[in-house]
Amino acid sequence: MREVTPRSFPAIALVVIVIAYAIILLVVPFITIIQGAFEDGLQPVLDTFSHIDVRHALLVSFVLSVIALSVNAIFGLITAWVLVRHRFTGRRLFDALVDIPFVFATPIAGYATIVMFGRTGWFAPTIIPIVFAYPAIVLVKIFVSLPFITREIQPVLGTLSPDYEEAAYTIGANRWLTFRRVILPEIWTALLYGIVLTFARMIGEFGAVSVVGGALEGYTETATTFIFRALKDRDNTGGYSMSVLLCIISVIILIVMNQLKSRFADSAVRQSQG
Amino acid sequence: MSIKLYEVSKFYGTQAVVRNVSLEIQPGELFVLLGASGSGKSTLLRMIAGLVTPDNGRILLHGRDVTQLPPQQRGTGFVFQNYSLFRHMTVAQNIEFGLSIRRRKAQDRQQRVQELLNLIELPEYGNRMPNQLSGGQQQRVALARALAYDPNVLLLDEPFGALDVKIRAQLRQNLKVIQQKLGVTAILVTHDQEEAFEVADRIGIIERGELLEVGVPSELYHRPQHRFTATFLGTANLLQARRNGSNVYLGDVAVPAPPNTEHLSGQSVEILARPEEIALSHDRPHTTHPTIGQGIVEMVLFAGPLQRVIVRLTGQHEGQVVTALLSPDDARTANLRVGQQVWVSIKAYALLPTETNEDIHPSLEHQAKTSGLKG
Repeated sequence: MREVTPRSFPAIALVVIVIAYAIILLVVPFITIIQGAFEDGLQPVLDTFSHIDVRHALLVSFVLSVIALSVNAIFGLITAWVLVRHRFTGRRLFDALVDIPFVFATPIAGYATIVMFGRTGWFAPTIIPIVFAYPAIVLVKIFVSLPFITREIQPVLGTLSPDYEEAAYTIGANRWLTFRRVILPEIWTALLYGIVLTFARMIGEFGAVSVVGGALEGYTETATTFIFRALKDRDNTGGYSMSVLLCIISVIILIVMNQLKSRFADSAVRQSQG
Repeated sequence: MSIKLYEVSKFYGTQAVVRNVSLEIQPGELFVLLGASGSGKSTLLRMIAGLVTPDNGRILLHGRDVTQLPPQQRGTGFVFQNYSLFRHMTVAQNIEFGLSIRRRKAQDRQQRVQELLNLIELPEYGNRMPNQLSGGQQQRVALARALAYDPNVLLLDEPFGALDVKIRAQLRQNLKVIQQKLGVTAILVTHDQEEAFEVADRIGIIERGELLEVGVPSELYHRPQHRFTATFLGTANLLQARRNGSNVYLGDVAVPAPPNTEHLSGQSVEILARPEEIALSHDRPHTTHPTIGQGIVEMVLFAGPLQRVIVRLTGQHEGQVVTALLSPDDARTANLRVGQQVWVSIKAYALLPTETNEDIHPSLEHQAKTSGLKG
């Protein structure tokens, strides 16, 4: 790609428009939220985070996201493997279906979960409740971020010739050793990137989580549904404080992702040379 | 016997890619499987390594039936065309991989890695990453990796196919030296006839999944049993004839029958004369070499050290084209020009039974099929 320094008027105007657009959409809201949170000083913010329901909501968000994340990491990896390495009828259709969570409105996913696992649903639970409880939240978190890990790993895996595994097999490595010592180091960065992306998506999920969880205070309320409730209850400081925290988490995730991306680029260069 | 194949077959759908191949390979031998692409030679090699499961037949390595064993339990060393070095491991870690899987002591491993680095003449390269090496160097590391754990047999699948001509020639020599030094039994798969001649103790010609014939290189070149072998290994001039009594008759020209061809007596045969065994002269030659007739020089081509001359026969063999390779001396003496009439004689020749295979045309048509670098 050839880079140019803009000189003509239209070129400069274009740059200005893009920057203004980004500032209005990304930076201004961030500043407003921070300003809103600290309007009455630091104390109300600290009070918000010392409230037991708020802490609980944060804990629920994190713990359930980590559980859902581990499920997606494993299945995302397997899905990527199957899509890259196996040729079967319907593979292309399956490949396309993986993207469904990208295009689905998430409350629909939540509603579908209620229909399936609700008291009169096809898979009505017998022992523990699923809907309006933690299991449903985990399920929808899994659903909404399903494609991320698969889609990150798939292209990297595609660059590995099957000879690579076969070489390990002939040398004497069994399948597990081959995966751990030959395949995993190759896809490690992509997997991490997918995990970070998935985590960000899960923490930020609101629609499906509020539908299936019911956002019960001190129970199924998550960080995002807390913000919704706080703003509805005119607890602006509470809503803004939680928003700031989630924003900070997002920024950290962004930084991590950028680090991983540059590692990615390095390994891409390495691969093209090799 | 190091490697023994007994009626091994492999089908993809109804298509047989390897058909009833039986083969025995001696300890320490470097055996070359030579065939065109798609002939099934790689599939056969992969079946020996356990990467492909045969549909029929048995495979024995050092007397042990490994037909049903996974690749991990066969202990073969396999070298791939695209090197397939582990990109995230250093050269030393790549070579060490087989040893660490076998849980050898760290000290033994290090020592072995250094031995192998010396063997492949890259003693200082242990800490490099594969991408810092040239293709030829990578393939040498791949060879070291396959040899590190003292494999039962060494299997090489077109190992030099991705390298340029000069490096290829050099690596062939290296491979041969290393293989002899270690005395490891090896099978090398290639489509390059020159490569096969250079490294092979014996060559097996494989065509459409069938092992046509096996022999030492010179034997296969000079006295092939199959028309395919004759045409695949270099350029072949094939002339239709009939063997009767102690002679072979090309029309009414009689040439003495080569020894040990009595079994072809009374049959329609083909005379195989390699281009370097064809002599051309302006006057009827007075040599002991049988003269087969006259022709018109159609082309005189520069072929590096030799001169390639294409002659179209006249008279009885009207239309038959013969390729001759003349040494610099002969070329100067003959001083041939296009359009000149010459006498054609054959200095050495072999007989092939005429094949009635549907896809081979038993005509007098010129079957000059060149392969590899000669083309």
